[in-house]
Amino acid sequence: MNNFFVELKNVKKVFGPVVALDNVNFSILKGEIHGLLGENGAGKSTLMNILYGLYTPDKGEIFIEGKKVKINSPYDSIKLGIGMVHQISTLVPQFNAIENIILGTEKDKYRLKIEEEKEKIKKLSRELGLDFPLDIKVKDLSAGVKQKIEIVRALFRGAKLLILDEPTTSLVESEFKDLLKTLKSLVNKGVTIIFITHKMREVLEACDRVTILRRGKVQGILNRDEMTTENIVKMMFIEKDIKVTESALPKVELPESRKSEKPVLILKDVSTESTEQSIGLKNISFEIFGGEIVGVASVSGNGEKDLAEIIINPKKLKNGEIYIGGEKINGLSTLEVFSKGVFYTPEDRIKEGILPEGNLKENILLGHHSEERFLNRKIFIKWNEAKSVTLDTIKKFNVYAPNEETTIRRLSGGNIQKVIMGRAFVNSIKLLITHNPTSGLDVSTVEFIFKKLVETRGSGSAILWIGEDLDELMILSDRIMVLYKGELQGIFKRSEFDKYKIGLLMIGGQK
Amino acid sequence: MKNKDLFRVIIIYFLSIFFAFVVISIIAVLFRYDVIKVLRTLLTTSFKTSFGFQETIKKTIPLIFTTYAFTIPFMIKFFNIGGWGQMLFGGTITAVVGLTLPKIGINLPSFIMIPLLIITGILAGGFFALIAGFLVAKFDINPIISTIMLNFVAVQFLNFIATNPIYRDPYEGHPITLPLPKSGTLGFIFGIPYSIIFAIISIIFVYFLIKKTKIGYEITAIGYNLDAAQKYGINFQKTILITFFIAGALAGLGGTFEVINIHKKLIEGFAQTSGAQYGIFGVLTSLIVAGNPIGVPIAAFLMSVLLVGADALQRTMQIPVEMVFLSQALIVLFIVTFRERFLRRK
Amino acid sequence: MLNFINSFISQTITYAVVYTLTSLGIVISGRAGIFNVSGEGIMLASASIGFIVSFLSQNAILGFISGMIMGALFGFILSYIHESYKVNQFILGISLVILGTGLSDLMYKLIIGVKLTAPRAPKTPIIKIPYISNIPIIQAFLNQDIIVYFLYFVIFFAWWFYYKTKIGLETRAIGENPKAADVVGVNVTRRRYLSTIIGSMLIGISGAYLPIVITGTYTPDISAGRGFMAVGIAIFASWKPQRAILGGFLFAAIEVIAFRLQVISQKIPYQFFLMLPFISVLIIMMIFKKQIEFPASVGKPYSRE
Repeated sequence: MNNFFVELKNVKKVFGPVVALDNVNFSILKGEIHGLLGENGAGKSTLMNILYGLYTPDKGEIFIEGKKVKINSPYDSIKLGIGMVHQISTLVPQFNAIENIILGTEKDKYRLKIEEEKEKIKKLSRELGLDFPLDIKVKDLSAGVKQKIEIVRALFRGAKLLILDEPTTSLVESEFKDLLKTLKSLVNKGVTIIFITHKMREVLEACDRVTILRRGKVQGILNRDEMTTENIVKMMFIEKDIKVTESALPKVELPESRKSEKPVLILKDVSTESTEQSIGLKNISFEIFGGEIVGVASVSGNGEKDLAEIIINPKKLKNGEIYIGGEKINGLSTLEVFSKGVFYTPEDRIKEGILPEGNLKENILLGHHSEERFLNRKIFIKWNEAKSVTLDTIKKFNVYAPNEETTIRRLSGGNIQKVIMGRAFVNSIKLLITHNPTSGLDVSTVEFIFKKLVETRGSGSAILWIGEDLDELMILSDRIMVLYKGELQGIFKRSEFDKYKIGLLMIGGQK
Repeated sequence: MKNKDLFRVIIIYFLSIFFAFVVISIIAVLFRYDVIKVLRTLLTTSFKTSFGFQETIKKTIPLIFTTYAFTIPFMIKFFNIGGWGQMLFGGTITAVVGLTLPKIGINLPSFIMIPLLIITGILAGGFFALIAGFLVAKFDINPIISTIMLNFVAVQFLNFIATNPIYRDPYEGHPITLPLPKSGTLGFIFGIPYSIIFAIISIIFVYFLIKKTKIGYEITAIGYNLDAAQKYGINFQKTILITFFIAGALAGLGGTFEVINIHKKLIEGFAQTSGAQYGIFGVLTSLIVAGNPIGVPIAAFLMSVLLVGADALQRTMQIPVEMVFLSQALIVLFIVTFRERFLRRK
Repeated sequence: MLNFINSFISQTITYAVVYTLTSLGIVISGRAGIFNVSGEGIMLASASIGFIVSFLSQNAILGFISGMIMGALFGFILSYIHESYKVNQFILGISLVILGTGLSDLMYKLIIGVKLTAPRAPKTPIIKIPYISNIPIIQAFLNQDIIVYFLYFVIFFAWWFYYKTKIGLETRAIGENPKAADVVGVNVTRRRYLSTIIGSMLIGISGAYLPIVITGTYTPDISAGRGFMAVGIAIFASWKPQRAILGGFLFAAIEVIAFRLQVISQKIPYQFFLMLPFISVLIIMMIFKKQIEFPASVGKPYSRE
């Protein structure tokens, strides 16, 4: 009938209050490299996990080569010829390439014929132009090599469609060039490819067509000749219909405020180690003054988490200097940093932010438990004080909870976030570092949190706000700085805010 | 919601104990014992005579100490199986100090000697547990392994002291030391050892430690969520060392009282009762109350009721004490399973 | 001198049966992701049942088989409760240790009872290989009972299974990354059951070996911590079968040396030699800290979500 390899029709998926995918239609032509673009939380991963059988959609149908199919597990999708190369390697680190590739193939034979399989794999990888050491444990190989192994593994199982989830995150430039060559040659052999990415350049260089998602909806599908930087950035960051954006965002005004004369926070040439999980920071320098909100715009995984954590745990500094209110804080512990008037709300509110089985009192106390006002003779906790502070917070932050003894796990996400925010305002603070305070919350809670941030700013405190939603950042920030690959790309004043320019820097476009 | 949970907990305990008793009854029937008499003896011996009650308290006291020794590290998800070794080591060092001082001509009055021996037990037990704490904090060696290895070290060390010509009682066949000087021992009141006072103090101490102090808060917070606790500035390594020290100190204190109050000398295998050692009973007791420090004294008392019943079964009906030990293990197995089944949280 | 070496090796091999089979049993379940710390309890229960059966039937082989069945039962309980209810593996393991401890003495007292002279286990058949079994040194390896030969077989089989078969490869993958195995269609739960039960069977045989061969009679607490030392060996071996075998022989040698020194030495109290094996476990784990690798999923429950 037509030439589609995969068609997803009217797919819907809801997680709690969040509509992750809203009637998405997505189709891939045979033998093309199809880019899938979007901000964090736009729904790219959800869509691909549905195709790969990790999630089941609430609504919608999947067609493979015109036939309707049901995919309940990755095992099903592998049988249908779909292979996925995950962002985080799913290889068994203790195994070498051969063992990883043959794992689970040919169920009926019990004997391991390493030599025979080795020849087959060698032949396949030679054909594909992908060479890698076959006998070295995968854990000792670089990210780029692991990726090659994952690709060969998928094709060894007969994959006709290859999904690459942000394949370039941990690749160096030359590895990216190699990958590109590989993809082109795969396409020549009849393989279809879905390429998930945030990076402008990669789309332009690699993709034949591109689908752009935003807030769970398809914003547009661009053919090769329509793919301009301008079109893509606009679709990624700017709604076609301005009203849609407005309805999804709270209405909060940012009043005039007086900036302090001296900066509250100074970072000079700050670098941190890069690890498997994070890219690390590279020579970051900036200042934040009292009475201003500085937003950090970045696609997640570009060093924004390192930025938040290095300030509250400066022991992890590789080099550089950090000052709070003029005092150098290099080498201080978290509690010592807090005692300088800094507080923090972490990215993952359940995993890093709360004591799930603890009550509200115990949760409010976290991070304040060493402060004199809560301690008697440095040993005994003044629970009465903690109680009154908790009740105060419940009132000030409209936490919907019966009393201070309520187990926090029983509260809704929004109320949990309010407790975490409230904890930051137990003392008057000079600097608040807040990481994605609004993610997954309903508009009214977001509005409440916005008002608190504005209030705090009005009282002369500084706020470093790491956000995942550029629209939100633009409403409330005095300045926005952009991080990309752990480097500071630029700082914009409010008067210079331009979605297009900022968005372009976030995805690695030219300055 | 809360009431529903409480109801479930009661059902869980009821069912677990019920099933365990069913198993006992089946074994009793198989080996032709009178089931009713077995169950009656098991449950009522402690309350029928004052001797039974005194015996129960005598077992409850050390059990409280070893149960805390397991419970406190368990709050930060570490398994201290070494309560027994820490008890043995605390008791052994106490005996060494108590016997050595008079030998070298230092005769202290009771009101100095007793506190000195108590502090000795606390420090010795605490030090011994700190080895395991250090091994996990610095070398990542699972405390299940290290504490059990150290148990065997403590057994041999006790044996070394009790057979040492300086301390050994030459007229005893078993490794037993000479008696401690009178100033270094505690007595009984109505057949109940004075150490009950210290057991009660320990209960209050643990309650205050966990509920009212900063370190207690840090232990609780780590138990709830290690990531959040560390992110908000709680030092995990330090807390490991502190919890192990406290655990060992309490177990060591328990050992001291067994030596200065119950036996008044050092005896090989002093920390044992009804077929097993107090460390193991402490683990069982703690798992029954899910590592909740407040439930410990009650559970320890109920365990001791079963142990006294077990002794009586052996005396009067020639039923091995291990039958009760087995049933306690079954109760724990049922409880941990049911708890996970019916109280599991997302 | 030759005699001394011979008897030293021979004795070491006898003890190595206990250490090696137990640590291999722990390694086998660990390779599938189950951290089995209940070895001590399994050994005790199997020692008791193994002795009882062999004593009553006057057949050592039946004793070993019943020990093996007891091991399988424990392995089944461990994997069933863990896989069905996700109870923490360590809590379960410790509970099973206590269960095994109680069960062992209970069975013995109920069935054999208190005897004035300790009942003796029947002789275990010794297998001699003609000619070869008379050559010095080699004689120490090949003039042994049937379980020693079984040990040799298990060592070979474990190596062959894990490194030469596809099922072995898949099972190793479960321990490292259960998701990777699940995704390619391996039934993770079934493999975990099988590995834990088979591993526990080996531990059961090793438990029965203690009263039937090593001491000749049953005494309470006969395993004396070896079940836990085997856990230490499995960890220090990074859950690799070949290294667990090496570790098993090493600790057997340490125990034999400690035992012999204790007899010879006058100056150092014997208790310190008896501490030696336990302290060595800790020291070796400290020394090899850097090299120790855990299968990534060991000790953790697996569910698809």
